[in-house]
Amino acid sequence: MFLVGVSSLEAGIKLMGEDTQERLFSTVSNPVAGLFIGILGTVLVQSSSASTSVIVGLVATRALNLDDAVPMIMGANIGTTVTNTLVSLGHVRHSAEFKRAFSAATVHDFFNLLAVGLLLPLELATGVLTNIAEGISEQLLGSAGSDWKSPIKKYVKEPVGWLEDAWDAVGASGNLLGTLMVVSGLAIVLAALAFITRNMRLLVADRVERSLNAVLGKGAGVVAMLLGVIITVSVQSSSITTSILIPLAAAGVLSLRNAYPVTLGANVGTTITALLAALATDAPEALTIALVHTTFNIAGILLLYPIPKIRDLPIRAAEGLADVAVTRKTWAVAYVVIGFIVIPLVGVAILG
Amino acid sequence: MVMSFFRKGESGIEHIERRVVSMLGEARHSYDMAISAVISGADPETVEADIFATDERINRAEQELRGELVVHVSVQGADDIGSVLGYTLLIKKIERIGDQAKNIFDLTQEGVSFHGASDAKELQQYASKISSLFGEVIEILSSADEEHAIQFRDTCDALRADCEQHLRDYMHTEQPGSYAVPRAVLYRYWKRIVANLGGVVTSATEPLQHQDYLDGGRTDITDD
Repeated sequence: MFLVGVSSLEAGIKLMGEDTQERLFSTVSNPVAGLFIGILGTVLVQSSSASTSVIVGLVATRALNLDDAVPMIMGANIGTTVTNTLVSLGHVRHSAEFKRAFSAATVHDFFNLLAVGLLLPLELATGVLTNIAEGISEQLLGSAGSDWKSPIKKYVKEPVGWLEDAWDAVGASGNLLGTLMVVSGLAIVLAALAFITRNMRLLVADRVERSLNAVLGKGAGVVAMLLGVIITVSVQSSSITTSILIPLAAAGVLSLRNAYPVTLGANVGTTITALLAALATDAPEALTIALVHTTFNIAGILLLYPIPKIRDLPIRAAEGLADVAVTRKTWAVAYVVIGFIVIPLVGVAILG
Repeated sequence: MVMSFFRKGESGIEHIERRVVSMLGEARHSYDMAISAVISGADPETVEADIFATDERINRAEQELRGELVVHVSVQGADDIGSVLGYTLLIKKIERIGDQAKNIFDLTQEGVSFHGASDAKELQQYASKISSLFGEVIEILSSADEEHAIQFRDTCDALRADCEQHLRDYMHTEQPGSYAVPRAVLYRYWKRIVANLGGVVTSATEPLQHQDYLDGGRTDITDD
C-alpha cells in the first residue's frame, strides 16, 4: 500500500503536465525556501518518513530535481523533531520533569539544526552529499543507470492503474486527474505509514523494551546509537523512537546524555522509509535522494559526535533552552510555534 | 547489547516478574544470614560483608526495576498500568525486608546473641517458619494461585498477631530488660517482615486501591 501511494503520487505529478509542474516546484529553487518547505511539510504530517517518501516520489517524476530536493530532505529532518518536543510539553505542569523532558526533546532539534547549518552550505558549495549518494546509487544499480527497472514497480503499477481508472470514471482528466492522484497517493502513504508504524510498534514492543532497558543499564555511546537505528528501522518512525524517550527522560530514568545517541540513531534509522519508497520508482534519482537522506544523517553524526566538545554543543543548547523554558513556560510553546511554523512560513513567503 | 533487540526473549512483565523473584531470593538470603548470626551462632564478622553486599544488590535491583517499569509503560502504553503500580509497591516492600534483615543483624552489633539461650530452639523454629514464607511467596508470585494467596494472607495475619502477643508479653515480663528488650525488638522485626511478605502477595493479587489495607480500607497494615 505504501509503495502504491508513492507510485500514485508520481503518476499524479506526471499527469499534471510540464507547465503545472514548473509552477508547482519553482518555489523550491531557492534552497532556504526548500528547507522551510521540508520543515513545514513534515510538521504538517508529523512524520519525516511520509514527507521524505513524498519527496522521493516527486524526484522520481523529475519535476523536482535533486539539487532542489536536498534542502527539502534536510528540512524534513528538522521538522520531524517537533513531535517529541510536543510530547515534552505534556510535562509542563511539573517543572523538574518538564526540564528533563524538554531538554531531551530539543537536543534532537539542536543537533539537526547544527547538522543542517554545517552541511547545507557545504552541499550547496560542493554537492558533496549528492556526489556520495550518486556514487552509492551507481554501485547499487550497476551499469543499468537510467535504464534501471524497479523489480517492485510492476507490482504497484496495476493498483495505481485501478486508481487512475477510478478517477477517470468519475470524469476527472488533465490537471484535475493529476491532483486527485496526488491527493490519493498522499492519503495512501499517510494511512499506510500509520498502519505500519502502529502494527510494527506492537510487534516489536518487547524487543524495544529490552533494548531500552539495555541502554538504561549500560549507558550511552555508539551502541545506544545502533539501538536507535534498529528500533527506528523496526517501527519505521523516528518520531516513535524519540517520543518513547521523553517520558523516560521526564521521569529521570534516562539521562539526556543517554537519550542523545538513541536520538541520533533514530535520525539514521528513519531514512529506511525513503529508501523503500525509492523501490517503487524506476528513476535512479529517487534512490539517490533517498541515499542523500541517509548520507546527510550519517555525515551529521560523523561531524558532530566524535569530538566531545562538539558533541556537547546540542546538549548544552538543549539544557540552556530548558532552563529558560522551565521558568517561562510560554516560551516553550512560543519556541515550537515560531521555530516550526512561523519562521518557515515567513521564510517561504519571502524566499519562495 | 545491540543483539538484545534480535534475541527472542521474555516479555517486559515476565522480565520484571523474574527480577522480583530474584530480589525475594536475595532478601531471603539476607534474612537467613542475619538469623544465623543472631540465633545460630555464626560469626557476625563473616556474615556482615555478605549481608551488606546482598542489601546493596537489593537496593540496586529496586532502582533498576523502577526504571524498567517506566520503560514498560512508555513502550507498551497504559495496558499494564495496574500491574506496574502494584510492582512499584511490591519492590519497595522487598527492599524493606532487606533492610529489616539488616536491622536483625544489627542486634549483634549491640552484643545480642540468642545462641545457647534457653529459648534458642523456640526462636530458631520461629525464624525458620518465617524463612519458609519467602519460598511460599515466590511460589504464589510464579503461579498466581489465588487460593494459595488467600491462605498465605491468613497465615501472615495469624503470625503478625502472634508476634504482637509476644511483644506485649515481653513488655509486661518480670525478666530483666537485657533479656526482654532484644527479644521484643526481634519479634518487632519479624512482625514487620511478615507484614511485608503478606504485602508482597497482596500487591501481586489484590486490586491496587486495597493493597496494604485491611477491613475494607480502615486499617493500614504498613503502620502497625
